[in-house]
Amino acid sequence: MDLLNTFLIGITAGTIYALMAISMVLVWRSTRVVNFAQAGMALLSTYFGYEAVSRLGSFWIALPVAMIGGALVAALVEIILIRLLVKHSSSGPIAGVAPIIATLGLLGVIRSISAMIWGGQDLRIVGPISNDGFTINGTTLVFSPLKLLILVTVLVLMLILSIVFQKTNIGLALRASAYAPEIARLSGIKVDWVRTLGWALAGAAGAVAGMFQTVNGNGTLSPDSIEFSLLLVSGFIAAVIGGLDSLIGAVIGGLVLGLMIAFVLMYVSSGLFFIAPFVILLTVLFIRPQGIFGAKAARRA
Amino acid sequence: MHKKQSRDIFLFILGGVVLFFLSGMVDELRVYQGATIAIYVIAISSIILLTGYSGQVSLGHGALMAVGAYAAAVTRIEFKLPIILCFVVAVLLAAIGGALLGAAAARLSGPYLAGTTLALAIGLPSLANQFTVLGGEQGLLFDVGFPPLSLGEEFTQYKWFFWIAGLAALISMWIIKNILGSRYGRTWRAIRGNEVAAQLSGINIARSKILAFTISAGIAGLAGALLSMTIGTVSPSAFPLALSFSLLAGAVLSGLTTLGGAMIGAVVLVAIPEIADVVAHRVGSSERVTTNLPGFLVSALLILTVLFVPNGPVEQHRARKAKHLALKK
Repeated sequence: MDLLNTFLIGITAGTIYALMAISMVLVWRSTRVVNFAQAGMALLSTYFGYEAVSRLGSFWIALPVAMIGGALVAALVEIILIRLLVKHSSSGPIAGVAPIIATLGLLGVIRSISAMIWGGQDLRIVGPISNDGFTINGTTLVFSPLKLLILVTVLVLMLILSIVFQKTNIGLALRASAYAPEIARLSGIKVDWVRTLGWALAGAAGAVAGMFQTVNGNGTLSPDSIEFSLLLVSGFIAAVIGGLDSLIGAVIGGLVLGLMIAFVLMYVSSGLFFIAPFVILLTVLFIRPQGIFGAKAARRA
Repeated sequence: MHKKQSRDIFLFILGGVVLFFLSGMVDELRVYQGATIAIYVIAISSIILLTGYSGQVSLGHGALMAVGAYAAAVTRIEFKLPIILCFVVAVLLAAIGGALLGAAAARLSGPYLAGTTLALAIGLPSLANQFTVLGGEQGLLFDVGFPPLSLGEEFTQYKWFFWIAGLAALISMWIIKNILGSRYGRTWRAIRGNEVAAQLSGINIARSKILAFTISAGIAGLAGALLSMTIGTVSPSAFPLALSFSLLAGAVLSGLTTLGGAMIGAVVLVAIPEIADVVAHRVGSSERVTTNLPGFLVSALLILTVLFVPNGPVEQHRARKAKHLALKK
């Protein structure tokens, strides 16, 4: 029973990490920036979601509100910060580290602004359905209706995203601009705006991850919560495991990471909460530096 | 070359003497801030060495500082060694940690390295809760003892901290300056400039990168031990992710490639909470704004610097002067 429990917890957490990793990958593919502020943007969108829940009382209205808010924030960041960054700091000794430093600064700005507006204390977001575990043959699982709902919702969102990417013109434009920006521009795609769109999609995905991470945890929201530190680290690690360039890789990276963390916490020690992801990341990077699905050339950051 | 070096030694000693006399003339708070500035100078220069010269980004220096701090405190408590030896142990252990991290880092570049060290910065301090010898969440007491009586009756504890930190800063700046001017410094710059070309001219890339990480970590460990000396305790909460960010911000503000600029970043980092305090008082803002204003200012400054003064104020000034001269001709 422990085994099944751990597996289900890991899968649920893994889908949330996968969403976060997808948003990292979307940003990486559109502008070649690893966005360390992604979790910060997810935090901000979750606060939007909190406002919506507390005013309108429905999680299902709050979720799209958070997604739209997240998309707008991400688009603004791309238009204001990233375009300036490309213009000003793409030469000299700082060129390699400038995007990293800028997105970290952004993370700090978002965190402190959120703390200024909403305060450092915990706010509660009530999940749409119960987080009490299912009972099978008298034993209670940790797996709950809420976790099942998260699992299903995330899978549906991923399906929609993959249809958008594979079957629509927008998806084609997104893929073309990531793959060969010059050629895409030649064939009439407005690459700049496609990039902004990539960021916006990432912002929306991050918002969902933030909302679910909050209700899947203990339901509280604060700028310094463990949930968001974990989201920050896990999104990055899951994306790297998957190879940073591949959406399918991000999904698998997230699931692998979620499962591994769940099993380590269950069978090794529950105190290894933050060290486990780090060890997993190092192991993957040593065995396969380009990630599971990354092409060898993708390593050249 | 030789003459320049002896002039530099003279300047360093002169700087030290001036600082020590200054410490007798200002009040206790300023002395304490002086000690903090000295510690930040050490920590920032370790990042300048690593990021500015060898081109590797580390967000894990807060964690390496924690390693140094715990090493010093544990040797002090368990073995009762004299304080200077505790600092030596701190440097050595942090350097070993840095070598291990560097071995992993040599295979990574850019954002991969940044993310890995970020995971370390978040993860490592929480490890302290796993071992009872490290004192868990409360941490350990770290007491360097009273200043020696020979310095006089009025010699305060804070002044003693300042003397130790100031001396450590002068010595480590001197050592870093010499390392950067040596063959190793040139090697690192070559790698940062063009890895393939550096490899072609016979540089062992991995080994040089690991060396840079090791030295930088050792210096960071010293800064960590000094920091916990001024706080009096070592605990996980003293080394949050925010510390790693501030150090990076300090290094960027100083100019990533100008060691002499480390002072600028350190002063700014110490001044920002004060400035935030004054601003918050003027505006009469609420408590939650006041407590978060310093973090906001550091981060905002970080972004603005990267966007508009990407190579640091000193380098910017130098470039402008050079352009001016060229125009005159």
